[in-house]
Amino acid sequence: MSQATEEFFASLPARAPTILRAPVTGTLQIDLTTDNRTDHWLVRLSPGRAVVDRARGPADAVWSSSADLFERLATGTAQSISAVLRNESTFSGNVMLFLVFRQFFPTPPGVRDPRETAREQTGRA
Amino acid sequence: MQQRVSILDGNTFLVCDSSGDVEPSFDFPTGMFSFDTRFLSTWLLTLDGERLHALSVDDAHSYQTRFFLVPGEPTHYLDAKVSIIRSRSIGGVFTEELSVLNHSGREARFQLRLEMGSDFADLFEIKHQRPKKGRTSAEAGENKLRLTYRREAFHREALIVSSTDAHVDERGMTWSITVEPHSGWSTCVTVTPIIHGARGEDVRAITALGAARGPAVIRDEQEALVGRAPQLGCDCEPLAGAYRQSLHDLAALRYESITLGVRLLAAGLPWFMTLFGRDSMLTSLQVLPFLPELVPPTILMLAGLQGYRLDDFRDEEPGKILHELRYGETAGFEEQPHSPYYGAADSTPLFVILLDEYERWTGDATLVKQLETPVRAALHWIDTYGDLLGTGYVWYRSRNPETGLENQCWKDSWDAISYADGRLPGFPRATCEIQGYAYDAKRRGARMARLFWNDPEYADRLEREAKALKERFNRDFWIPEKNHYALALDPDGRHVDSLTSNIGHLLWSGIVDEPRAAMVAEHLLGPRLFSGWGVRTLATDEGRYNPIGYHVGTVWPFDNAFIAWGLSRYGFREEAGRICEAMINASRYFDGRLPEAFAGFDRTLTDYPVQYPTACSPQAWSAGTPLLLLRVILGLEPQGEHLIIDPLVPEGMGRVELLDIPGRWGRVDALGRSRTPHDHDHRD
Repeated sequence: MSQATEEFFASLPARAPTILRAPVTGTLQIDLTTDNRTDHWLVRLSPGRAVVDRARGPADAVWSSSADLFERLATGTAQSISAVLRNESTFSGNVMLFLVFRQFFPTPPGVRDPRETAREQTGRA
Repeated sequence: MQQRVSILDGNTFLVCDSSGDVEPSFDFPTGMFSFDTRFLSTWLLTLDGERLHALSVDDAHSYQTRFFLVPGEPTHYLDAKVSIIRSRSIGGVFTEELSVLNHSGREARFQLRLEMGSDFADLFEIKHQRPKKGRTSAEAGENKLRLTYRREAFHREALIVSSTDAHVDERGMTWSITVEPHSGWSTCVTVTPIIHGARGEDVRAITALGAARGPAVIRDEQEALVGRAPQLGCDCEPLAGAYRQSLHDLAALRYESITLGVRLLAAGLPWFMTLFGRDSMLTSLQVLPFLPELVPPTILMLAGLQGYRLDDFRDEEPGKILHELRYGETAGFEEQPHSPYYGAADSTPLFVILLDEYERWTGDATLVKQLETPVRAALHWIDTYGDLLGTGYVWYRSRNPETGLENQCWKDSWDAISYADGRLPGFPRATCEIQGYAYDAKRRGARMARLFWNDPEYADRLEREAKALKERFNRDFWIPEKNHYALALDPDGRHVDSLTSNIGHLLWSGIVDEPRAAMVAEHLLGPRLFSGWGVRTLATDEGRYNPIGYHVGTVWPFDNAFIAWGLSRYGFREEAGRICEAMINASRYFDGRLPEAFAGFDRTLTDYPVQYPTACSPQAWSAGTPLLLLRVILGLEPQGEHLIIDPLVPEGMGRVELLDIPGRWGRVDALGRSRTPHDHDHRD
């Protein structure tokens, strides 16, 4: 398990109050596969709160991905919905949990605030 | 161009020629599609090697078509000894029953052949042709043919099965049959589109989406939906026909979202059979007085997919509401940004407007409370990322120069926003109607904050901001020498000075200063904008005007419906009625089904509305148009717990009666009648 992924899960409880604002409650199991080994994470989501365990179900939804893809999601270099559309990661169960959980994935590295760019270009910076 | 016949059920649809055949096409989406992937690109029927021609086509239902065919060319089939009936339906799977009828007095043998194939093109590969990156294969089995496409883990399959013995090869099926005199033979062929998801199973099996439905179930569903809508009684047959057609088209355009398991409205056949933020919300506003149940799934889906981070490829920002969500290969592999794409500057304020309007009709306070966070985030977007230049307006400029949209307003083609002399402004651009939506969103946000979120301070702030925006807008967008609002501001804050239909949306939003409303109304109904069939997108004397230009001269029914609503809001009921009358009359020329757009030619020149060459039909917000026109004609407006009914029926329309209008009042009836000397003509 990569350090980035470990750190990502460790950060969830502290980030939950600002990110988990929707009235959605449930348990999401995340299966991360490396070669022939699968690590399981269980995240209990509720408004303002995330509880993380290294365990498997019971869960309301299961999200499966390679450990490598998940690291790219956790560092903002991949995007979660396109990954599902190309079937590189898969999902089953209550979709709202996935839509809420994806908000923990950060902005891609190096992205600038579009306002700064626009104001620079029009000489209003 | 050959006549095309379409059947659809949600976002699974088939477009074919008048004989029911599909031949490979690289510029128009013919074939069978589901979730943005073409599952059949060849579907060609022959009898003893001869192509077939249609004597007649029964396409009365959106999900079912029947073709009556004979072999040979139209010149010599008059004494045909054999005919074929091709009866098909679509509802998750595509089913075709092939019947061969022997009209002679002798036993006859035939070779019936169906050519089959799929290129598994993504809809965007048809718009912008490209070689496939994955591998297609065909596998012939016992009475079945499996067509497969794979690219990495992306896996699509068309499984074709015959109910009777067939000789199957990799390019189709052949039936060698003997038919008794004056008798018939038939077989049933089904095509199941399979989208592989978790554990290789079809995604619809693992996300609680509905299974395939037969025509009887689809008919019952559609009729139940239509039955729940208010009943219209009227003297004006075109209005009655358009209303009926609209309800059926709206029912047919509902599809089950692959990601949420709820019924959403697809935007339009064939290019736009997916979720669009703007289209789904404007359609929701149109249908709200009639079928409020269609609205919450759309709002919830848009809230669930609200932008939360910065992403240049997708033009995403925190709080922004999506523009377009696609499910196909190009979205998955990030060759197109629709996963989802956020390139729209109007969808975010429209989201706030829709939720408030929904509550005003239904009294569903629970939903307003549930969505407090996304609505606040949307309102916050208006003042932060939306205001790119920090000038107090909502601007747009794509950060995805390759596959993003240049224009992020409803007129989103590249040349839609121009100065009167035809030049195109730089970016960012701030179009006028978006400022109107932002104003309306703030006022409606204030109402929700005060009534449902227990936050009067926030409500006061939003109202102050709305007032300031209105003042600022009326100062900065008004062109005194032309007496109308500018289409947009350019990056230097100068007027983009064309006269356009956009000013009609300003009336709807309420941002127009009272003393100027009459001038706006006069322009809308004046000869430069009004064609006689409706308000043109761009005035005839502007540099880029073209009566068959997509957003630069055509007439869009949905646009006209919102303009009529706006006119009515400012008390220009008679002017609104003229637009209603023009639209309803235009619908007669399209069998009650208003297309996406028609040409901007003057009514006196063409006598009938000329359809725009590649207009989508049915189109959700065109189907919603007759509904909104009815609201305008009958003057329906919720006020507190009651429905205000204040009809002003256009001259010659006679009686208009809408029964059982649903809402927080239960169900009420509205009755109107035109009062002019010409009315007695109508029933003749």
